[in-house]
Formats: sequence, C-alpha cells, structure tokens
Amino acid sequence: MAELSFPLPDLGEGLIEATVLEWLVAVGDTVERNQPLVEVETTKSAVELPSPQAGVVVRVHGEPGETVLVGDPLIVFEVPDNTAGIVGTVPQEQAPKRRVRLSPVDDDDD
Amino acid sequence: MSEQTAEITAPDLAGTGSHLEHLSMQQALNRALAESLEENAKTLIFGEDVGQLGGVFRITDGLQQRFGADRVFDTPLAESGILGMSVGLAMAGFHPIPEVQFDGFAYPAVNQIVCQIGRMNYRSRGTLPMPITLRVPSFGGIRAPEHHGESLESLFAHVPGLKVVSPADPHQAYHLLKHAIRRPDPVIFMEPKARYWQKGPVDTADGGTLEGARVARPGRHVTLIAWGAMVARCLQVAELAAEDGIDVEVLDLRWLKPIDTAALAASVTRTRRAVVVHEAPRTSGLGAEIAALVTEECFNVLKAPVERVTGFDVPYPSGDLEDEYVPNIDRILFGIQRVLEHRRG
Repeated sequence: MAELSFPLPDLGEGLIEATVLEWLVAVGDTVERNQPLVEVETTKSAVELPSPQAGVVVRVHGEPGETVLVGDPLIVFEVPDNTAGIVGTVPQEQAPKRRVRLSPVDDDDD
Repeated sequence: MSEQTAEITAPDLAGTGSHLEHLSMQQALNRALAESLEENAKTLIFGEDVGQLGGVFRITDGLQQRFGADRVFDTPLAESGILGMSVGLAMAGFHPIPEVQFDGFAYPAVNQIVCQIGRMNYRSRGTLPMPITLRVPSFGGIRAPEHHGESLESLFAHVPGLKVVSPADPHQAYHLLKHAIRRPDPVIFMEPKARYWQKGPVDTADGGTLEGARVARPGRHVTLIAWGAMVARCLQVAELAAEDGIDVEVLDLRWLKPIDTAALAASVTRTRRAVVVHEAPRTSGLGAEIAALVTEECFNVLKAPVERVTGFDVPYPSGDLEDEYVPNIDRILFGIQRVLEHRRG
C-alpha cells in the first residue's frame, strides 16, 4: 500500500487559504472518486471538495474552524501501490476471450 | 505505514543486488529517470504536476524531493510553453526531459515540436542540437475522457528531425528511456499508459540491442507488427492462434521513426504474411507506411496483401466505447484469418 496526499487546491483565482467547515468523511472511511470529502469556505464561497480518487482515508488536516493554506496537506489516502493514479482507471488483467477460430494454414499451394 | 506522507512511497531505488527485478512500467520509468538525472547533471524534468505531485501516473514520483526543484519542477498548464522552454534550454546546453501529461495535450505544442525541435539542428547546421526527450503518456485503454487516449505516432513520425519510440513492457521501458535520453537528438517517447501497472522482469544490467525492432515471439505462419500496448495483446492472440495450429510471430516495432525496415523484411520474408495492428485511426496511420514498406521489400514472397487492424476514423471515443475502438482479440484474429485464406489470382 502507498499513501497519497491531497493538498488544498486553489479554489478560485489566487486564493491562498480556506477554512474547514465540516468533514464529510472520517479516518478509516473508504471513499470513491468524486465523493464529497469536506466543506470549506474561502473568501469567495463555501464549496464541497470532491475526492480526486478512491482510497481509504488515513489522516485529515484541519478541524472545523481551522484554516488550511493552499498547497498544504488536506487529506491523506491509502491506496494500493498499483492503483495510484489520478486520471482514468487501471485496466484489469483478464483471461483472453475469443470467438474467432482460425482455419488450418495450407502452405503447399505454391 | 511510513509517516513520510508527502507523496506515494517511492520505488526502491537502491535495488536488491540482483540485476533481474520485477517492476511495473511505472517503476521502471521512474528508475530510468532517476538514473538519468544522476548520470547527467544537465538533465531537467518539467511539466504539469511532475514535481510536487510526482506525475498523475507517478512516473516522476519522489524525483523532486531527491534532486531538488531546480531540476524537477512544475510548469503552468501550457504545453506550448513547456516545449518552447525545452528549445531554449537545449540551445543553452541542457538535456530537457519534458512531459506532456496526455497525448491529446500535445496539440497546443505542435508548433514548437515541428517548427523548432524537429528543425533546429538542421537549421543551425548542426550547431544547435536538440537533445530533448519528450515523454507522452499515450494510447488508450484506461477509460479516460477525451484527449486522454490518442495515438499520435504517425503525426510525429511524419516530422523530419524527430525520432519516435514506444516501449511495450517494463524492461523495454527502462532501457529505451535511458537510451532516448542519452541520444543527442529529439525523441518523442510514447508511454503506453494501459501498460503502466503490469509488472514484468527488468534486467537493469543488460538492455540488449536498443535500436530497431525486436521479435517478441518467433513464429512461422504470419507476422503481427505492433508497438506499445498492442504488443501484449498480439502476444495473447499468438497464444490463442497456437491452439488452432497457427504459429504467429510478433514483431515489436519499438522505433516508429525510423522504422526498422530490415527487421520487417526479415520477418515477413520468413512468414510471407503480415498483419499490422495499431490503435490510431486507419487512414494515414502508421500501418499504411508499414504496409508500403513490407510490400516494397517482400512483394515477391507475400501470400496476401498486408492486413491492417486499427482504430476507426473517428475521434477516440469515451471509455464506454473504447473496447469497440481499440483492436481487440477477435478483430486481430480475423485479420490473421484474412491473410491466411487469401488466394492469389
């Protein structure tokens, strides 16, 4: 297993921090990609942050009311080593399936 | 579980003492990059999210921590800038290893790649070589959105001055990337993202011949010609065809520019039948070039026209449809059947 840290992104244009309002997940939770993680408030608005990926929550940073700086760790996931990626999904190795059968080759015709 | 939470646990760069290791292509590429940074102080890695994050596919994981943000750094989301900066750095004596995060994001940088990187050495009468290795996570297969599954090899192969290579497995990835970085000329390094996670043996001490194509599986009846992620699929097809008594040779082309014409000719002269498999759209795909080369070299021994099993002439589709778009086992088997049953005249 590996740990993957998700830093607080810039939620507007040039914002430098956000205040945690409410965590929607807890340590130990298994979360899916795009599942809401936390509600934070910036100087512009209050927003829910979707999870950038699936994983098990290992740590969260910032109690409700506390301020987190953009770029500082917000949440840490535990993910299997071989699924650590951000875009798309890991292809599953499957036993090859076929419908087409080949006819015997005749190489004596010339 | 380590308290070092910064990013994903870095691959074991210390090695195990043995030269033969079991690595994913991610780990193999990561190690090749780390060793290239060690080997040549002029090498630099930059691109979107390659520094602090370690890359969206973890290929540059841990490299910024290890080599510093002067040598491994994040750029703005501007591919034209990433490649334009590569040109300037190369002119100043550096060996840039830029990353374009996904195949389809290379289009905004086509001007820099075609008009500067491909031509600067020629334009400057050899005084300004472009030792740039552009890493591009390429091809489909991971259910990603638009611009994340495209095959640009024929676009780049068409550009004078560029070389294009794609590894098929972790061993090839490790050695071909190091080889590409050491070369004095610009190389487009197309990483088959669908194969990033599968592990395979890597002999770090012996890469074998790194120029030209390689026979991934010898066979007698027909040659399958492929590169990148399609090599593994063609090897599966070869196993299935063997059940029917058909002995399939799989030629991993590796270098898509220049194409190893001698290897194509040698293989097809033996098997007398050829099927080329690629994910890119059919029209003006690299399969057309390969069919022409095979025909020129092997016309007198060919038992059938060169068959092409390819993607379709449409934009790369959404994830739900990509299994229909990318050549699958049955489509490749059907291509083999067509060349097997062809009768002249």
